[in-house]
Amino acid sequence: MSNRLNVDYNAMDDEVFRQMVLEWYVENYPDELRFPPERMHWDESGAWYMQLAEKGWLAPGWPSKHGGMGLDVNKLLIFMDVGENYGVGRTPDQGITMVGPLLIQHGSQEQIDYYLPKILSGENIWCQGYSEPGAGSDLASLQTSAVRDGDDYIVNGHKIWTTLAMDANMIFMLVRTSKEGKKQQGITFLLAPLDLPGIIVRPIVNLGMHDEFAEVFFDNVRIPVAASVGGENNGWNIAKALLGHERVFIGSPKLAILAMSRLKSLANAANLFDDALFVEQFTALQLDVEDLTDAYKRFIEVLKRGGEFGPEVSMLKIWNTETLQRISEFTMDAAAEYAGIWGGIETDDGLVRASAEFIGSRPGTIYGGTNQVQRNILAKAVLRLPG
Amino acid sequence: MEDISLQSRIDLLTEQQVMIQDSAIAFIAQDEELRKVRENRFVQPGFDNQIWQEMAELGWFGFLVPEAYGGMGLTFADLHTVLIQLGKGLVPVPFTATAVMAAGAIVKGDNEALKMDRLPSLVSGDWKPALAWQETTGGIDARTVEVKLKDGRIWGKKILVPDAGGADDFIVSVLSDNGTELYMCGKDASGLTIEHEQRVDGGFYGQLNFDGVRVGDRVASAGVATGVIESVLDEGRLAASAELLGVMTRALEISVDYMTQRVQFDKPIGSFQSLQHKAVDLFVLSEISRSVVLQVVELFDAGASQIECALAASRVKARCSDAAMQVTKETIQLHGAIGYTDEANIGLFLKRAMYLSSWLGNASAHRASYAKLKLQAETADE
Repeated sequence: MSNRLNVDYNAMDDEVFRQMVLEWYVENYPDELRFPPERMHWDESGAWYMQLAEKGWLAPGWPSKHGGMGLDVNKLLIFMDVGENYGVGRTPDQGITMVGPLLIQHGSQEQIDYYLPKILSGENIWCQGYSEPGAGSDLASLQTSAVRDGDDYIVNGHKIWTTLAMDANMIFMLVRTSKEGKKQQGITFLLAPLDLPGIIVRPIVNLGMHDEFAEVFFDNVRIPVAASVGGENNGWNIAKALLGHERVFIGSPKLAILAMSRLKSLANAANLFDDALFVEQFTALQLDVEDLTDAYKRFIEVLKRGGEFGPEVSMLKIWNTETLQRISEFTMDAAAEYAGIWGGIETDDGLVRASAEFIGSRPGTIYGGTNQVQRNILAKAVLRLPG
Repeated sequence: MEDISLQSRIDLLTEQQVMIQDSAIAFIAQDEELRKVRENRFVQPGFDNQIWQEMAELGWFGFLVPEAYGGMGLTFADLHTVLIQLGKGLVPVPFTATAVMAAGAIVKGDNEALKMDRLPSLVSGDWKPALAWQETTGGIDARTVEVKLKDGRIWGKKILVPDAGGADDFIVSVLSDNGTELYMCGKDASGLTIEHEQRVDGGFYGQLNFDGVRVGDRVASAGVATGVIESVLDEGRLAASAELLGVMTRALEISVDYMTQRVQFDKPIGSFQSLQHKAVDLFVLSEISRSVVLQVVELFDAGASQIECALAASRVKARCSDAAMQVTKETIQLHGAIGYTDEANIGLFLKRAMYLSSWLGNASAHRASYAKLKLQAETADE
């Protein structure tokens, strides 16, 4: 199968492919957007999204018959790796990473034909409505209700931690369609435009004073039953399968490697490598990151062999997010009094903001299942401890 | 909100301490929602002048000032209960910088006329001096002074002056032909420019650039100035540690409360053992910190030697800086996603801890300083 450019990327030599991607990034990706310190809004990243769309590289993992690049796991990993190394920032990409795979797997032909082209053209930007104020770690307890009224659902409720909802015009969400039986069994996957009457989006400012999240309120919102995916009360299973996609990337050591390089710049600027104690502590973190990289490679091999991750992938998330936090804490330590300012310290490699490193590494142990939940998963599903 | 500290279980307070503590508790109870903190964030001068006046009326600025100069001549045993409450309430004022350090510099200095003239207006809240001693980051060494005093004019740069925008005058350490001295300098003096750097907690650090600024009154002469600076820095470290103790204590109280209210998996999250143990570990950290603060308060009040005070100041600042960071960052985790929002108050405690724990030397700087001083002291004993 070939994509619309009729290039069979998977047949290319790995190095040739890597070079091709890199060269195109170097030529086309805006310099000022490399390594963005926080998640970019559409006004910053939109032009890049459209450029990727035009190139046909917006959806590297989608099959080529749906307009993706059709990359196999190996090439997809290379593609991601080059982007991370070059500092290519994320676009509002939930349509590509979540909605596309969801519809290709569980959607009707009609839904596929209707929604996928709009993602590829940039007409539809999606956000994810899963969590609610009362349903965080315990997602299955979600209460946003969808009640049948003829061919529509009437939706009422409140979604939160909706990343970049203010940049999106579509939402994919989990709603409660039944209160019978186990709470996981009464959940349905639903798609909706955000400009329907009764929907209000409110940005939430995070500790870094950036409005990356939002909350979305639904007040008697009428959504056609035809916009549900995978059948009524089947949403939980679908969402769980989709999360598998997300969990791969949560183990990538790239953020930790970058944080180490900023710490190194800071330490050079402050002459800290003359201090034996600093060197010892720095090296301990360096090895934490190198060993994380080995663990990540080991897991990636599973994907390359065509396998999937089980509950064991939680260990990657724990080690990765907590290593990143330790690096940020040591960066604060190295910054001395400048740990207490918003601004940063000038180094040969640019400004290093210790407080931003520290604050920015906090949510890693909270989102995508807190690290307490990850430990519960490992205890129960891997160590098979009782209880 | 219930006090979770061990104070009522195991500590004995004097009647006077209880009275002072009660007035401080009542004071911060006026703004339990921390609206004042939010109102004053990132807006010059970074603190609230009305709060400053209310504190003056409670007499707090005069606690460490002798009666002869309009103060009350009290001790840290009395003041520390106020400082802990100021930390708990995140009260947005540079209390430690002005009422402990700048006031202390004048009191401990050797200009009697200046003391008679200026200290009463400091006590009444009408005059706010700020101490400008620091020239490099790292926060420990006050002996290396490179800002020059030549022919009555100051040249050079001082950094990290908390909330400099609200100060009326600066007390500046300078190197003259006589050695290190402390001089006053008006905030509007010609040749003085101030750059303000935003702090994470919403206040500001000022950088003072002196370009031939004419000096005002001398605060401490060459014979005493270095000792004065070192002494007020150590008192500042103790005061900041007491504030940090308040910050961590309230952060934990709020979190224990939240863990009792917040339900997931059909139970309060406080019923999960992994979170209970985390909360208990933070409690142990905060009570270890309180133990050190109480002992160091006693030591300072007993008139310990400079080296004993320096050791104790490093010990208490190292412990409280570390513990406050540990506690406030873990209380974010205990709150989950809501803890990572600006609208939840718990983040304000983390940010105050980020400021106070790095100001006047962070934990590693003070551990290093402690090791060095300890070695010196032991060598001197032999």
